[in-house]
Amino acid sequence: MQQRVITVVLLIGLCFGLITLVAGMSSWRLPDNEQGYAPKQPIEYSHRLHAGELGIDCMFCHTAADKSRHAGIPSTDVCMKCHKVVTSSFDVLQDEMNKADEEKRKPKQIVSEELRKLYDALALDETLQPKEGATAESIPWVRVHNLPDHVHFDHRAHVAAGVTCQKCHGPVESMQRMEQFESLTMGWCVNCHQESTKTGINGKAVDAKTDCAVCHY
Amino acid sequence: MTQTQNKTYWKSLAERDGSLDALEADPHQAGPAPFSRRQFLEAAGFTLSLATLSGCGRAPEVTALPFVNQPEGMIPGRSQIYASTCAGCPAACGLLVGVRDGRPLKMEGMPEHPLSRGGLCAIGQALPLSLYDSHRLTQPLADGKAANWEDVDKAIADRLRGIKENGGAIRFVTSTVTSPTLQATIDAFLEGYEDAKHITFDAFSSSAILDAHEKTHGIRVLPHYKLDEANVIVAFGADFLGTWISPVEFTAAWQTRRAPTEKHPEMSYHVQFEGGMSLTGGNADRRYRLSPTEYGNVLSHLAAKLSTRAGKDAPAGSLGESSIDGHDIEELAERLWHARGASVVLCDSQDVSVQVLVNFINHLLGNYGKTVDIERPSRQRQGNDAEVLQLVDELKAGKVAALFVAGTDLTHNLPDREAIAAGIEKAALVVSFAEREDDFAALADFVCPDHHPLESWLDAEPITGLVSLSQPTLQPLGGTRSILESLARWSGKSDSAYDILRANWRAKMLPLVESQPFQAFWDKAVHDGFVSTNTPSATVGEFQTEAVSLLNVESTEDEFLLSLYSKVALTDSRHAHNPWLQELPDPTTKVTWDNYVCVSPSTAEKLSLSDGDLVRVESNEGGAKVELPTLVQPGQHDRVVSIALGYGVRGTDRFTDIGPQWLEGRPTVAPGELVGQNAAGLIATRNGTLQYTAAGVTLTKIGGRRDLATTQRHHTLEVPRNVAPHGAEVRDIIQETTLSEFAKDSHAGTPHAHHHGDTQLWAEDHPKSGHRWGMVVDLNKCTGCSACLIACQSENNVPVVGKDEVFRQREMHWIRLDRYYSGDDDDLQVAHQPMMCQHCDNAPCETVCPALATVHSDEGLNVQAYNRCVGTRYCANNCPYKVRRFNWFKYEHNDPLQNLVLNPDVTVRTRGVMEKCSMCVQRIEEGKIAARQHGESVVDGDIQTACQQSCPAQAIVFGDMNDKTSKVHRAFENPRQYRLLEEFNFRPSVAYLRAVKNREAQHEEGGHHA
Repeated sequence: MQQRVITVVLLIGLCFGLITLVAGMSSWRLPDNEQGYAPKQPIEYSHRLHAGELGIDCMFCHTAADKSRHAGIPSTDVCMKCHKVVTSSFDVLQDEMNKADEEKRKPKQIVSEELRKLYDALALDETLQPKEGATAESIPWVRVHNLPDHVHFDHRAHVAAGVTCQKCHGPVESMQRMEQFESLTMGWCVNCHQESTKTGINGKAVDAKTDCAVCHY
Repeated sequence: MTQTQNKTYWKSLAERDGSLDALEADPHQAGPAPFSRRQFLEAAGFTLSLATLSGCGRAPEVTALPFVNQPEGMIPGRSQIYASTCAGCPAACGLLVGVRDGRPLKMEGMPEHPLSRGGLCAIGQALPLSLYDSHRLTQPLADGKAANWEDVDKAIADRLRGIKENGGAIRFVTSTVTSPTLQATIDAFLEGYEDAKHITFDAFSSSAILDAHEKTHGIRVLPHYKLDEANVIVAFGADFLGTWISPVEFTAAWQTRRAPTEKHPEMSYHVQFEGGMSLTGGNADRRYRLSPTEYGNVLSHLAAKLSTRAGKDAPAGSLGESSIDGHDIEELAERLWHARGASVVLCDSQDVSVQVLVNFINHLLGNYGKTVDIERPSRQRQGNDAEVLQLVDELKAGKVAALFVAGTDLTHNLPDREAIAAGIEKAALVVSFAEREDDFAALADFVCPDHHPLESWLDAEPITGLVSLSQPTLQPLGGTRSILESLARWSGKSDSAYDILRANWRAKMLPLVESQPFQAFWDKAVHDGFVSTNTPSATVGEFQTEAVSLLNVESTEDEFLLSLYSKVALTDSRHAHNPWLQELPDPTTKVTWDNYVCVSPSTAEKLSLSDGDLVRVESNEGGAKVELPTLVQPGQHDRVVSIALGYGVRGTDRFTDIGPQWLEGRPTVAPGELVGQNAAGLIATRNGTLQYTAAGVTLTKIGGRRDLATTQRHHTLEVPRNVAPHGAEVRDIIQETTLSEFAKDSHAGTPHAHHHGDTQLWAEDHPKSGHRWGMVVDLNKCTGCSACLIACQSENNVPVVGKDEVFRQREMHWIRLDRYYSGDDDDLQVAHQPMMCQHCDNAPCETVCPALATVHSDEGLNVQAYNRCVGTRYCANNCPYKVRRFNWFKYEHNDPLQNLVLNPDVTVRTRGVMEKCSMCVQRIEEGKIAARQHGESVVDGDIQTACQQSCPAQAIVFGDMNDKTSKVHRAFENPRQYRLLEEFNFRPSVAYLRAVKNREAQHEEGGHHA
């Protein structure tokens, strides 16, 4: 009897495992390697547009990269530094201006679909005035780069040493949707630490230690 | 057992008497595995294959929520430090609150604070855990049911109006209020009522000291004792390093005179007379066992001797036979006389005539104005027992119309609870401000919960002329309301606590400082956390010698005397809901999660009691009784039994399911029971004071047992004699010397041990040039107060395991305080030794790890990579210092809100891995990164470990040993320095400074231990 129960449990387990395995085959990689992860974000924010075409500095939004272990996801008010004025893409706004000019009227407020979501999060209405009865909520951005809890990564140390953002995050300025470019595995980290100690960063000698306790605590 | 030169150390009585077979298995520790090896492998294989497969999917989606509007100055991931005042007790130590991403996480001492000087006790450290406690009330209660503030305010205002019209009596009871603003608000609230009175009730009152000063100096004050100016300290019962009045301040002051150097081999002389075994007694140079009833006797003899010495007439009254050897009293009087103006006599007796004698001696020695300051007195204890007792009578007689209670649990902390509760029923309006439903709140008509101290604005004036501020560090978690606001509402005002506080400061504090604009003054006060004001000194009357009379106390031999004391970890019932404090091993008894009856070894033998035997302690007068387990306590007076107050607190049955829940797990408290028992029923009321050491009691063994979860024999450094190599049976763990020996030879106390040579296990091919972190602990300053233990627990996310796991030796604290006794019961000496990972250069743990999970870092740290650890536990077995802790379980908080207390800079360890002290590597890395960011090198003192930061005695020094100018480098060169088990060549990075006792060279007395 007991033998049979164990067999049944094992079989169910095996089936379950196989199903998980087959489902995961489409993106085969070692456990915990999330390279290429590009989740859909609540707002289709484009780094290519902002960092690439418009050339906005990374630290304009990720202000804490040189101050804290976290670079920081910009608070929503940071978006409003520009998007108070820029409510849609330049072409659409330009068209509307031209049309309004022709028709001798005031240009209409045009809000793009994606920016609509931003204003909703801030509880602002069509005319960017606070909506009554609504409260501003944080935008639930999906985390792309997520190191395991037993690793401590400090942005500050790397920025101070002169490591560029792209070194770990890849060509962000050309990414329409943010993705994890590098593997962010331990071997990858250690390689870079060893290389940098040998060759320096931008001609500056660095001592990038590879002690366990540098990252694991 | 440990032996140094001619002294024997022991941790427990069984060990001293040799009845302990070190290899004997504790019934709670071992146990056969419930299933077979084959089954285990089957299950393990199955789990492993599934775990591998499941790792192939994408990680779960994690969202990151940024602020909508980021507050100014806030940087995600960085701590902001706010200056505040600790509200754990009325001592009001300076506090620095580390707020991380909106959560107060780490409490640290404020180095600039003139009283606490950077120290903070265990209770202060544990504040955040009580903040994130889902059992706190989140809204007011009316008749025990949840209500809203408007309804409660209206109902209270209505009833108050009725009372005002009828002229009914209003009684407002608080524990000591050091806050000038709260005092002013209470006074303003009570104004306008015909019969209104504010009564101060301390759960641990010092009322007699204040009453005695009223008699001798005409002013009812508590002196401010300045122990840093005292060469001779004589304490009668006062546990000033552990629990008495302001322990952190006293420890900080006391330690300044406990550091003899080669050039100045001088230190203070500290004598303790006490019935129980207190933390302070253990740290004294000479400790006498003396029943608290006999304090008056010894003080009278001292007073008579000193009067003669001063050429004055002794006070009236006759002298009985001295309880202490006359020669000793003579010598002590002589020492005191030579230290006139630089000595102090302290006493915790609640007998006014005894305190009057203390005042007389301090007066005779000219200590007033020097070590005992009553012109700028302390305000840390203002309890007035006479008024409390009068209130109790009024309540019983049904004369009180409205009763307000704040900051204390009135019914829990007073004897005769039933009668008081019946009296409370008669009052028309009963209001409690308790933050949770305590014993009194359960009787109250309305509970109007006050904020947690970390959520509210308040001030404090612990010493006249030193005013400090508390500021909120987060939005209130629930719908609580500051007591200042509640009182304002009921007086018809709608001010916020912040406005009330500022208005009071503008009106009362601003005139007391050099004139400046209010805003500048306020900003500086908020920034610094405290201000010194020019409050005029109190006018002190002439000393009234006629008030003094000698006491002739006959020592009673026929009954036991009960001594009610408070524990270092809990002080009173307010902190009973804090699991960190409940699991903190008592510094002296090493017991967690319980209170108990301490009896002396010879009394235990007479009554055939042993640890854990249940006894009934019954008062000979009132008939009140408690039934508690016995603890045989070395150094306890034979006729004194001690029980800790602050236990048996309503609601502590919540701890039933704390710690891991598993097949063989047993609850920390049996369902329906509380943690410990309330012994407040045994408080005696005599001569208008609440007396904690006056009740005669009868002790009866009632059969049955309740085992005490004590850590005293866990993780011992000693080897069982039968397996020890020849010549190494005894290890020199504690090294001590005496001041006279030290003056002759600063290396005195070094044992003549056989060293195993300097053979190096590893090739010395490392340049060891960068940082080399090291730590030195001064055993002469360490009092064993265990503040470091909670500091470490808070900083490093150390879990609470529950009583059952403590039985199994599985407590997780990264620091333990080893406590060793030596000497005999009449002159018991105690040594405390904080024991954490020693970060050995030749670490025995590293060589046996098959996974290379524990390795040595470039900077001399022994590091533990949790994710590499597979849990073989070889390292823990091979560690000679027994400082490694294994995660047998996941130890999740059973209250999910308490997850907010976790420090995000430190990994939460999962089940099945080993952990241990990392020398706060997260702080080291943080310090290095911060320095590098500014292109600077790390400055000595920039990086402080959590234990070091808050040590009230400043006994811990940490730093870079390679930095020739660092404090730790100098400490390593101190002649008192020694490393533990040096003879085995482990080369630890932690060293200790030998303790020096200010006493004659000791000779091994008696021969009861081989």
